[in-house]
Amino acid sequence: MKLLCFETSAKTASAAIVSEGRIFAEGSLTTGLTHSQTLMPLCQSLMQSAGIPLREIDLLAVSTGPGSFTGLRIGISAAKGLAQGSSKRCVGVSTLEALACNLMGLETLACPVMDARCKQVYTALFRVSGGYPQRLWPDCALSLEELGEKLEGFQEPVMLTGDGACLAYEALAGKLPLLRLSPPGLRLQRAASVGFAALAYLKNGEPVPPGELLPQYLRLPQAERELLKKQQAAQAASMEE
Amino acid sequence: MEFLSHSPAETEALGARLAAALRPGDIVAFLGGLGAGKTAFVRGIASQLAPDAEVSSPTFALVNEYSGRLTIQHFDMYRITTMDDLYSTGFFDYLESGCLLAVEWSENIAGALPENTLFVRIRSLGGDGRAITFEGKEAARIEAALL
Repeated sequence: MKLLCFETSAKTASAAIVSEGRIFAEGSLTTGLTHSQTLMPLCQSLMQSAGIPLREIDLLAVSTGPGSFTGLRIGISAAKGLAQGSSKRCVGVSTLEALACNLMGLETLACPVMDARCKQVYTALFRVSGGYPQRLWPDCALSLEELGEKLEGFQEPVMLTGDGACLAYEALAGKLPLLRLSPPGLRLQRAASVGFAALAYLKNGEPVPPGELLPQYLRLPQAERELLKKQQAAQAASMEE
Repeated sequence: MEFLSHSPAETEALGARLAAALRPGDIVAFLGGLGAGKTAFVRGIASQLAPDAEVSSPTFALVNEYSGRLTIQHFDMYRITTMDDLYSTGFFDYLESGCLLAVEWSENIAGALPENTLFVRIRSLGGDGRAITFEGKEAARIEAALL
């Protein structure tokens, strides 16, 4: 079974063609948020170079979140459009679970971290013991501080991965000496990992028609009062005509 | 340092002068209520960087895009009150876009603006008179460029 996979949840735009245990083709660009311009040419050139036309693809796979509002919509729209036009079905997977799949084969606690801005992160925790990552936490949106508190209880190395891995490492490594940064080659979002997460899902789950593929947004924890922190001061100084 | 304006046209002219000092990725955030002249100021900026654009307050669209020598994303945060609201405007994605961001009602998202934000405070002096001041880390550079 061949899957055409997309990953556009953050700064990386990535496309891949995978089957069980095998990557036929993969391409990733981490050059700026221009996924709407780069993803389809990337996909097209991959399929051409690999000599795998769309009719040989069985399913579309895409990471559906958490992640960038615009980015997720670009990847999901691409998957939906191709699936709709070629009468195929889709699999949506968690961006964070796909990131944990970057570390498959290792022996470690895996903590994917995505930058959700304003010292907030999207994160989850997995145990990787050679095979497929085993989920310990659900996908959640936390402040960096809360993530630090949650990780304090672990007495073994925790490997950070994802576009927010450096951010979390810089913020928390002082307090958490067992934090590890994944090597650059395993760190960022990649479509092949989305494909492996989708294949794992398919062992027990069913693909969905493109119309049922939806982004999975997570509510951000920062309180309204923090967003508005200067509003009262500003109102006091504002126009009184 | 205070810059004085006696009319919307003068406010627009100050915006036009500021444009030369702005770079891709800069964020210009306005402080000042209804009728302060925020949109006039943005019109001035756009007149230099995206002269073909029709500038209007993005009250309902939330963000207007003006393409030119430098692409301007013009936000109105009047109705934005939560992080989730802000997230779903795509604001955080625009921060990475290399565009110039002009943000009206920035009071509402003060907690989410990056450190390099240039604040433009517009204060009424009665009638059409306005006192305009620049605040934030970039203020000194901007003031020097305007002198």
